[in-house]
Amino acid sequence: MTEEAIRLAQVCLWRRTQEEFSYDLKKTVLSVLEGKYRQPAKKLVLDKIDLVVEKGEKIGIIGSNGAGKSTLLKVISGILQPTTGTVRVRGKIAPLIELGAGFDSEISVVDNILLYGVLLGFSISEMKERIHSILDFAELEDYQFVPVKGLSSGMVARLGFAIATDIQPDILILDEVLSVGDESFRNKCQKRIDKFWDSHVTILVVSHSMEFIKQSCHTAIWLTKGNINLAGNSENVVKSYLDSVTQE
Amino acid sequence: MINLSLSNKYISADARHYIELLQVLVSRNLKVRYRGSFLGVYWSLLNPLMMTSLYTAIFGVTFAKYYDDSVINYILAALTGLIVISFFSASTTQALTSVVGNGALLNKIRLPVSVFPVSMIMANIFQFLIGAFPLLSIVTIVKSHSLINVVAILLPFIALIMFCVGVGFFVSALYVFFRDLPYFYELVIFVIGISSPIFYPAAIVPQAVKPFLIVNPLSPIIESIRQITLSGNLPDMMLIANALLSGMLFTGFGWLYFHRSRSQFMDLL
Repeated sequence: MTEEAIRLAQVCLWRRTQEEFSYDLKKTVLSVLEGKYRQPAKKLVLDKIDLVVEKGEKIGIIGSNGAGKSTLLKVISGILQPTTGTVRVRGKIAPLIELGAGFDSEISVVDNILLYGVLLGFSISEMKERIHSILDFAELEDYQFVPVKGLSSGMVARLGFAIATDIQPDILILDEVLSVGDESFRNKCQKRIDKFWDSHVTILVVSHSMEFIKQSCHTAIWLTKGNINLAGNSENVVKSYLDSVTQE
Repeated sequence: MINLSLSNKYISADARHYIELLQVLVSRNLKVRYRGSFLGVYWSLLNPLMMTSLYTAIFGVTFAKYYDDSVINYILAALTGLIVISFFSASTTQALTSVVGNGALLNKIRLPVSVFPVSMIMANIFQFLIGAFPLLSIVTIVKSHSLINVVAILLPFIALIMFCVGVGFFVSALYVFFRDLPYFYELVIFVIGISSPIFYPAAIVPQAVKPFLIVNPLSPIIESIRQITLSGNLPDMMLIANALLSGMLFTGFGWLYFHRSRSQFMDLL
């Protein structure tokens, strides 16, 4: 029995290129007056992507820089809306990208747990129940009421990881593999991720480490210029990707 | 408790998440702003109070004749006007940067973008309710001896909120596209401030210029609040309706612009 977790149908995404965009009211008004105003240029970032992910699948996404890997993850998480095509996702998505973006350094650790948890989509009451286990995992019980700016960067990363992974999500999205904190904490993180890996969580991971993709994902997707070049068994996909890179 | 769970059933999960987001963001704003300051939320009253004493010191005696020869009346008129203006300027200026300021976050987590400007305005509402509102209530009780008037203050205040929400939506969206907006917006606030009859009586403005003052959307709000707090009469429903109507118009317009440009935000954040 398999169940569909994610379905992308004919997803195209056009994005404005940022380089030539003038972020300037004065300049824009002047250029309109001079008749030199141009519509901002747009670039096709994802081109007719079709993708079906079954529940519990672990999928690695590979490709060169700028191929659209992170963009694809953003479309799946709902951060970006596709220009055309449809995205259907069943289940709760937990993004695990660059931890700590949601923290406010001025307020206390406990307040930040509530803030970050609600930003991630959990309810306040749910987060209140979990404060203890989060503090416990992050080893920050003694720092409950200290503002986050008083923590070391390693502690902040630990806190971010602990909040984001305290509840087992249905779909986990990893942009580059995590390396958080010191050696002992990294082991702890690894164990938790491994637990997710062994469970029914659907995992999508972007990585440049081919070894990791081969070992941990059954399926891999190779993106080039916003197209799915090849998808299938991770060993095969990694092999053809590496072949094509060495040929150049 | 039963009531709470019932009402929870009727609102969707998205709406509940939105409300909880507002809750944590507003409390974060207030905590950051007032952490370690001994006056706390009452800092927000300091600005209008100081400006009032400044204006009174300079113009009080000269303009008193327009206020039934009473400097006290001048003080109260200036204070009510300044409370409105400082609410408007603080809440919309904070809303302006709120979307761009949370750009990094919006790129990592899917969030309803409008919570950011709305949370800024809500933090200011909270400040108003525990800072300026009690002050206005005392003035109203002294002047009108009527609790109806105290409650009625909230009506033009709701109009003010709607106006600020509309403007907040508009400028926060515009700032995504034009990063030099704060300089222009400072000027806009100055113009709106000076063209509202706050520290001068409307009567001294030349006839030819008056129509421009009426266009100022804050005028009906200030007028209505003054009528309720200072005149001693029962609230004038026409003034209130006028203020509410223009408030609604601005909210509608601001939301429309925000909503229509929202799809382009992510390319520029």
